[in-house]
Amino acid sequence: MIDWIESVLHITVQMGTLYLLASLGEIYAERSGILNLGLEGMMIMGAALSFIFTLAYGHFAAIIISIAAGILMSLVLAVMAIHMRLNQVVAGLAITMLGLGLSGFLAFPDIRKNILLSLNPALPEQALMTQEAPKLPEISIPLLSNIPIIGRAFFHHNVLVYVSYIAALVMWFILFKTRIGLSLRSVGEDPATADSLGVNVFLVRYLATVISGGFAGLAGAYLFIGFHPFWQEGMTAGKGFIALALVILSTWNPLRAVLGAYLFGGIDTVQYRLQLFGLGAQSPYFLAMLPYLITIITLILISFENLRKRIGVPKSLGIPYSREQD
Amino acid sequence: MCAEKISRREFLGVARGAAIGGIVAAGALGAIAGYLGGSAAAPAKTTTVTSTVTSKVTSTVTAAAKPLKVGYVYVGPVGDYGWSYGHDRGRRWADERFGAGVESFYIESVPEAEVGGAIESLVARGANLIFTTSFGYMDATAEYAEKYPDVYFVHISGYRSGAAGNAPENMSAAFAEFYQLYFLNGLAAGAVTETGVIGYVGAYPIPEVVRHINAFVLGANYSYKKKTGKNIKAHVNWIFSWVAPDKARSAAVALVEEKNCDVLAFTEDTPAVLQVAEEYQKKGKRVWGFSHYSDMREYGPTAHLTGQIANWGPIYLEFYKMVATNSWVSMDIWTRIGDYMPYRWRKKVGESTAGQPEGTVFLAPAEPGHPQRVAARDQEALRRHERAPVRAFQRRWEPRRAHTRPGRRGQDQGR
Repeated sequence: MIDWIESVLHITVQMGTLYLLASLGEIYAERSGILNLGLEGMMIMGAALSFIFTLAYGHFAAIIISIAAGILMSLVLAVMAIHMRLNQVVAGLAITMLGLGLSGFLAFPDIRKNILLSLNPALPEQALMTQEAPKLPEISIPLLSNIPIIGRAFFHHNVLVYVSYIAALVMWFILFKTRIGLSLRSVGEDPATADSLGVNVFLVRYLATVISGGFAGLAGAYLFIGFHPFWQEGMTAGKGFIALALVILSTWNPLRAVLGAYLFGGIDTVQYRLQLFGLGAQSPYFLAMLPYLITIITLILISFENLRKRIGVPKSLGIPYSREQD
Repeated sequence: MCAEKISRREFLGVARGAAIGGIVAAGALGAIAGYLGGSAAAPAKTTTVTSTVTSKVTSTVTAAAKPLKVGYVYVGPVGDYGWSYGHDRGRRWADERFGAGVESFYIESVPEAEVGGAIESLVARGANLIFTTSFGYMDATAEYAEKYPDVYFVHISGYRSGAAGNAPENMSAAFAEFYQLYFLNGLAAGAVTETGVIGYVGAYPIPEVVRHINAFVLGANYSYKKKTGKNIKAHVNWIFSWVAPDKARSAAVALVEEKNCDVLAFTEDTPAVLQVAEEYQKKGKRVWGFSHYSDMREYGPTAHLTGQIANWGPIYLEFYKMVATNSWVSMDIWTRIGDYMPYRWRKKVGESTAGQPEGTVFLAPAEPGHPQRVAARDQEALRRHERAPVRAFQRRWEPRRAHTRPGRRGQDQGR
């Protein structure tokens, strides 16, 4: 039984990290009032580029490039949403489709071959044809990984999982315990007031969007080199949208996002294990549906006024800000 | 020969973002219509000849007859390395052998509900022969065969055709007896299993997949019983999708960790399950896997046992010839191992095309990860690797494992 819990937890963390990384950045964007629906597109771009760059230059370059790609795409979104004040839903979905298309194009065998050759002419033939790349190695944290049950589950992973632990803590601290976090939240609450108090609304929103893009790219890199290193067009398969749901579930709080991510990851994991005991084999969709059901319940809960106030739902989420407006 | 892809994006995984599916589908069809608008041309009228066809029809005759335009509809991306990749390889094989008189194009990642739109755009593009390559396309294919009597349709893996009497005469069906190969896979599984428990990651509980699972388990039980006198245990985990490497991974891991399976077969169109087996091998746990419709040895150099491989090319070529020579006969082809056309079924074993270039289904090269051979391969890979300074980063990040890959191909060629 203990082995079972340990192995389920281990894979839950593996799955959950993907959602966690994507939603951490998204929390910042939404707290500042920008709805980044391009998450899925940025993730898949991160995955595609990490595939190509892992083959060409190795994991480290791949991670950096994936983050950079996410940042670049989020800058496009930021210009559209903040500067041009376009509808954020439309702009975000456009970015998602752009990412899905562009990633498929870049990683398409013939195109990929040319890119790889121009990046690194010394690559062997095998590397030009393969759909696979080396996975990030798993590193055990010396003392912590010896703790029974949670040791192996939480401290025997690749480096990006540890990054997600630290990022969640740091981002929670910045968001709720520092002045920067206060400005960020105030911009999402009431940009006009924040502006009149001397907060640079545009700068804060740009930064928050860029952070969300960077994390989305990182999540894509994790999906490919950290979770399943086989390139598949559209391999994010809607996980970006699950991360969006997770942001609501976590009520825009990085620490609750950790719990939410592992809940979603856990459902993904347990789904196939319960099936082997005859549960859910008739319809796997019941368990797969649960995350969304929980998200809807959360949405209903935060529609109550006093709960809303206590959580601090970003009030001007998705509303473009302009000084002339009022 | 000029393979040209149209609208690859439109049909892509967008379907998975359920919320936006509708919008995108509309956009996709619009885009295809716009793209194809200019080139629409009705295919020439063809008469159906109902005499017996012989395989002697050569491509030299056919090339002059009329330009043959062939359209393919794939359920997954051609890069899936399994099912759709196999079909695309077959397309290229047939194009190459047919010669200059053929132009083929494909639409990939078409959701099963949207096959109608894909067929429409292929017809608009001027295709006079259309292959639809997923079970779920069957009814729509029959419907469109009725709508376009001048276009020929071939559906792969279904049971409706003019020959079978449940579809128009311009529709044929084709599939191969993979269950024989699955039985052979099973024999291998039963021979190597140490725990006596085998696992299967299944796509959908439809007859085709159930048939393959049954054959696999029968084979495994046969050889396991010979070896130990006991019955084998088998577990199936359904993932309810054809192309979903992440789900296949979770399902495969669950089979190994929950039920202690040490041989994993699968119906999912990527090497995900084999990759999982390979990862366990690297951790020192003996778990074995198979190839699936394409040679996947490179994804599991240690864990790969054998597997069922398909070359659809010969079937495609046969239909190319039929259409080009106006000698179409609706057929329901059930390819056997080595012999791919109904009229070749009576060949003697010695004349069989098993394993020959014109065979359709055959086993992947058996390659048990014999410890000594694996060690030798690692050595060789390491030597090659030191000559290529390209993966310095990887060596830093993954000191032991990254080396085993690049050298493999080169070594296999010698065998």
